[in-house]
Amino acid sequence: MANRNLKIKIVVSLALLVLTVSLLAGCQGIFYIPGASYGYYIWEEDGTIFVEWSVDRKDTKFSGKITTDGEISSYNLKEWEEDSDIIRTGEKEIIFSSTLDGEDYSDGFNFIPEDYTYLEFDLKINNNYDELSRINVGGFLENPGDCVFRVEKGYFDSVRMKPWYQKRPFSEFFYKLFANKYFTFLYLFILGIIIIEILRITVIAGKDKKVLWIASLYIILAMAEVCIYFVLKFLTG
Amino acid sequence: MKHFFNNLGSAIASRDIFDNKAYFRRFYKYFLAGLLVRLIFIPFFFQRDLLSIYQRAAETVFAGDFSSSFEQMLMHIIHSAYLMFLKFVFPAINEISSILLEEDTWVSWIGFNSIYNVFTVITLFKIIYLIFDIACMFIILRLSFDGEPEKRLQVFKFWIFNPVVIFVLYIFARHDIIGVFATLAALLLAKKQKKYWAIVVLALAIALRFFPVMILPLFIFYLARTKKDYIILSVIGVSGLIALEIFSYFYYGRSLIFTLLNAQHFSYILSSKLELIIHDRIFIFVAAYIFIILSYFHTGNKNFDLLLNYGAIVYLAYIGLCYFHPQYVLWAVPFLVIIFVRNRQVMYYHWIQFALLMIILIYWGPLVTQFVLAPIDHRYFVYITGIIPIIERFYDSAAFVNIFRSIFTGVSLWMIYLIYKDNKRITGSGLDNKEVL
Repeated sequence: MANRNLKIKIVVSLALLVLTVSLLAGCQGIFYIPGASYGYYIWEEDGTIFVEWSVDRKDTKFSGKITTDGEISSYNLKEWEEDSDIIRTGEKEIIFSSTLDGEDYSDGFNFIPEDYTYLEFDLKINNNYDELSRINVGGFLENPGDCVFRVEKGYFDSVRMKPWYQKRPFSEFFYKLFANKYFTFLYLFILGIIIIEILRITVIAGKDKKVLWIASLYIILAMAEVCIYFVLKFLTG
Repeated sequence: MKHFFNNLGSAIASRDIFDNKAYFRRFYKYFLAGLLVRLIFIPFFFQRDLLSIYQRAAETVFAGDFSSSFEQMLMHIIHSAYLMFLKFVFPAINEISSILLEEDTWVSWIGFNSIYNVFTVITLFKIIYLIFDIACMFIILRLSFDGEPEKRLQVFKFWIFNPVVIFVLYIFARHDIIGVFATLAALLLAKKQKKYWAIVVLALAIALRFFPVMILPLFIFYLARTKKDYIILSVIGVSGLIALEIFSYFYYGRSLIFTLLNAQHFSYILSSKLELIIHDRIFIFVAAYIFIILSYFHTGNKNFDLLLNYGAIVYLAYIGLCYFHPQYVLWAVPFLVIIFVRNRQVMYYHWIQFALLMIILIYWGPLVTQFVLAPIDHRYFVYITGIIPIIERFYDSAAFVNIFRSIFTGVSLWMIYLIYKDNKRITGSGLDNKEVL
């Protein structure tokens, strides 16, 4: 019975861990909830560039221009309201204007650029450039540095290739742990001591050669700290 | 030396636990496990209020402004003294003085979360709460079950692993534990029938945090033996507030009590009401509170366990019937953990309360939900889609949360009923030691 309970606890804990990590890693690919998320979401799939936007059900205008040194061969609209939303396309540019509201959760379009070296985006929210990093290019919080920004060919692949630990929030978390290493290692050491102490009065209490066990655990703790140092060093690049 | 450690062990764990090796080992195991859980959460989470109270303390410590916190004067003094101590022991804390002194709350919050050593600072800021929490652990196991070390250990365990305690102190990072500590000290003195000291310490608790005033009448009815006692204990009970009132009147030139009465927080007590006609209305909590107090007053056998039960009833009634902040739930916990030993059902409902609290939390907005995780990566948790907009996408978020809020109230009222039944047992044929499963 006790074993069964333990197994259930382990399974539930693992499920929660997986859920938490997958929620935190919501930045993988580009994910947004129409009518809840706020901002532009731009990504590439099989050579097609997707540009979509969403807002939390408030009247908001999204407008802008995309230009390229190549050619725009075709485009498709997504949830476009013909009476209020405007799109004009040329060989090298797309100009759009769209309004979202309490009923209209998100709009967007996609296009296929050919023979290009860059795409230039000039995107506005409510006729203003967004200073709050709500333009996500290739991934969540992959924000452009400037109001008008260029994306080189291959950019989306490079974002896609980024390993999980270089994506937020992990990258920032590991950075803070490593930048503040004296605290991190002292903190981990204290946690380790407490765990060893719990083991000493439970698992080890009934064993022979207690001192040897405890000494071994402290050696493992020291080795774990060294490993964590190198792992953090690697993760933070 | 051995004698010293024996005395120390008895002082910490109580004699009946310390003298039995098996019990003491369990006590130590619970303590270590509880400490581990607390330390895991300490560096990574906080709610904006933690920064606010240290910002006010910084105005005193770094800028010499003693009037930066008027409403929570004693709490401010404690945090200022602690920040002064941190400044003395860790001079590096000066590096964040500009962030703490920044007047724009948003800029200071972003600045604080951005610093590379934010985990260290949060840990240092929260250590004081850990100290008070540990002190509470050791007091709480002495409040009941004299000569029953097994049950005392259970009380200790229920506090150590209580989700509300861990959440409020180490994730939410609120300072209520300081007031709770003073209240528990007052309870311990009351148990030992040191009536004047008990009321003096309770008066201090009231001055620290207004909440213990709710159990002041219970204390007076429990401790008073003569009519003179009622008068003296009542006067001492409010003396802490009166002292603060006099001080604030002369130092700040304004009334503390009227400021508190006119504050938004006081209106929470009056938040649930029955509108009758014209201007006539009944404040539900006030009516319920008077009912509870009268019920206690007219109970014949006022033993100490009954006082604890009524403390739980008062605070459960408050969070059940009034608008509240998550940390207010903490005030019920010291009383509940003792009741859990006699009635496990109450504990299971308390866990349900906690789960519901996590849902109700949503309605206080991002400040108490995703922003609590901001030290890990503030940009990520600021820009991640909030829970309210997601709910709003499908359903009215206020209605959604209030459904759970209503369930929370229902559960709290049921817990009050269970405690009321427990009252009958502990006043009827003395303390019944059988557990109700």
